[in-house]
Amino acid sequence: MKWIRKFHKWASIVVGIQFLLWLLSGIYFNLMDATKSKGRTYQARINYESPLVGDRLVEPSIVLLKNKPSVAIELIHILGEPFYKLTHEKALYPHFKNKYTLVDAYTAKRFLIDEQVAAEIANLSYNGPGEIFKIRLLDPTIPDFPKQQNPTWEIYFDDEIDTSVFIEANSGRIIGHSDAHKRLADIFFMLHFMDYGNTGSFNNIQNMFFAIAALWLILSGFMWTIHLGLKGKYKIRH
Amino acid sequence: MTIKIKLKQYTNGKILNKVSRKIHKWLMLFIGIQFVIWSVTGTYMVFFDIDYIHGDSLVVNHQDKINPHDIEYSLSTLFGEYPNAENIRLSTFLQQPVYRFKVNTQSGPVQFLLDARSGQPLSPITELKAIEAAHYYSTLGKVKSVVLITDNPPFELSPRALPAWRINFDDFGAPSLYFSQSTGELVGKRHTFWRLFDWMFRFHVMDYEDGGDIGNWLLFAVTFFAILGCVLGLIMTGFLLIRPTKKLVALHKNTSRGVIK
Repeated sequence: MKWIRKFHKWASIVVGIQFLLWLLSGIYFNLMDATKSKGRTYQARINYESPLVGDRLVEPSIVLLKNKPSVAIELIHILGEPFYKLTHEKALYPHFKNKYTLVDAYTAKRFLIDEQVAAEIANLSYNGPGEIFKIRLLDPTIPDFPKQQNPTWEIYFDDEIDTSVFIEANSGRIIGHSDAHKRLADIFFMLHFMDYGNTGSFNNIQNMFFAIAALWLILSGFMWTIHLGLKGKYKIRH
Repeated sequence: MTIKIKLKQYTNGKILNKVSRKIHKWLMLFIGIQFVIWSVTGTYMVFFDIDYIHGDSLVVNHQDKINPHDIEYSLSTLFGEYPNAENIRLSTFLQQPVYRFKVNTQSGPVQFLLDARSGQPLSPITELKAIEAAHYYSTLGKVKSVVLITDNPPFELSPRALPAWRINFDDFGAPSLYFSQSTGELVGKRHTFWRLFDWMFRFHVMDYEDGGDIGNWLLFAVTFFAILGCVLGLIMTGFLLIRPTKKLVALHKNTSRGVIK
């Protein structure tokens, strides 16, 4: 029993502060607004309702012949216009490294998501009071979306919560929005995951070390509690 | 004079320590078990790499290229036969070029899979085709059983992916792959470690209903008392680290109450 107490005391010195941080960030997650914490305060739903002019579309086989070999070709819409998205190298998930080419589905010409197109997509996806004041092309890693591995446009809006819209540069995909609410939540996630390198993951060495220390703390405390119970130390005095 | 103040601080400290100990002890009688659950589930989630948990190592991501000359069934013919086709993509299924698309009907969206050479529908996928796909798109060994799921999907499969073939493998971690019966696409992958992870997460956030709801009242109440218990514990840890000098303790021991005024 003496050793269990010693373990408990030493473990509390090692992991005590981090334990409080886990609990405080935990209660923050419990109370936070899910929409705000995901940066969706000013995110609009985009519905493309543009009819395709079927006979104007270039045949996919012709597009495939004119471009690098592809594993997939998909008919998509960008700003209401049809495009072919050719996938040359397909990753397991969209945020992993993918290689795409965009082609105008009516003219078969290559299409690039430049600054202006990115701004227009961002405007469609945004329903807040702000206006665009800055646009920047980012190479990964992107602090607001650390798991995103493809080049990304960041479009800044001048609203009261500093909204930014993130558009994938090689596909036009809206990765998401970020704002003051999301960035605050991200700080709590960083504390909870001990992710001080901002990798977007909780599988890191410091977290593993403290998880083991916490396990020592909890299991020794648990045994201590059982011991106290067995010894009849839980009595309500009158 | 200084000794008097220090002694007073020491006595107050002793009371604070004692009260902290008492409340900490009683709190842990009630919420200690949740601490064990948090710690065990948290450790599990931290130690298993999340990409491994997601089953990324179960599947083979083939980069089969489409041969443009194989596509004898044109997109304009497709639009002629399926004027309301949406979300059209052309890729490969078991190395054959295929069209996949969706048609919205009154009873909901219907998915299609067509041979891009002949335009012949390839779905619904047969059991044999599903098994063939399961072998081709994975690194897994012997198939143990095959089930067609048309309703009431298990927790691990999204209802949107139905109808789907579930292929269970006789392999490490009891892996299962899910293939859409209507598109032949891989719509799910699970193994014991992911299934366990799902359970761990639900216990971690104390959601005993539908999984993944962090904003529940039970979690709030327990975490609130847990913070209290943790702060009291830290107070005691503080007293472990900032011990009064031995001299002072000795002095205090030899003084009876009322002597120092």
